[in-house]
Amino acid sequence: MKTKIYESMVLLDNALVREDWKKAKATVTDTLTKYGASIVTCRRYDEKKLAYQIKGKNRGTFVMCYFTLEKDTMAEIRREWELNEKVLRSLILRVEEVPATEHELAAAENNADFVVPAPPPDDMVEEEEPIIDPVPLDEIMVPDLNDVDLDSKA
Amino acid sequence: MAQQRRAPAPPISGKYCEDHMPDYKDVEHLKKFLSAHGQILSRKRSGYCTQCQKALKLAIKRARHMALLPFVG
Ligand SMILES: [Zn+2]
Repeated sequence: MKTKIYESMVLLDNALVREDWKKAKATVTDTLTKYGASIVTCRRYDEKKLAYQIKGKNRGTFVMCYFTLEKDTMAEIRREWELNEKVLRSLILRVEEVPATEHELAAAENNADFVVPAPPPDDMVEEEEPIIDPVPLDEIMVPDLNDVDLDSKA
Repeated sequence: MAQQRRAPAPPISGKYCEDHMPDYKDVEHLKKFLSAHGQILSRKRSGYCTQCQKALKLAIKRARHMALLPFVG
């Protein structure tokens, strides 16, 4: 029987990533190994602004793992991620092969000098619009109240 | 707003299909197939063949689930 390969993308709460990257990554890998999956590659895929807010977060870190699974435990894996508060979203798909570039990208993460950039601190920001740079004080025109022409519509 | 009339995109088939199979991770590519309101373009507008259009829909739905694409534009 051909071993089934799966691709999983997990969206993690940046708060967890900020605490410790290895621990954050382990929330993904531990679940996989716990239910009998063999991890082929696993890496930080991206950190970005989400297309919509999830649990009040505007940003999150994506983790991409490829694994093989012989056992019939997929439902348990999905369930565990669904119940985990720090996992904002997850997706598991069957794939034909692990992309060639994936090994290299995942290996780079194991280098001693690999540092996960700290996620920007705005994942709790409520505003949708980016904050506009404040106008310097000396550029704000203060109208002279004695000079206001009340009849003018301008 | 005046209704926009655009000529349908040329049909995509064969080799092109293979090279441009929609993937939920390729957000920039998928964005091209969303209307201003974030709706998936019809097959007529996307230029994809029936099979690829199905794959496109699935890819966009997956990308939306992962918050890579918005539900509304
Ligand atoms: Zn096609």
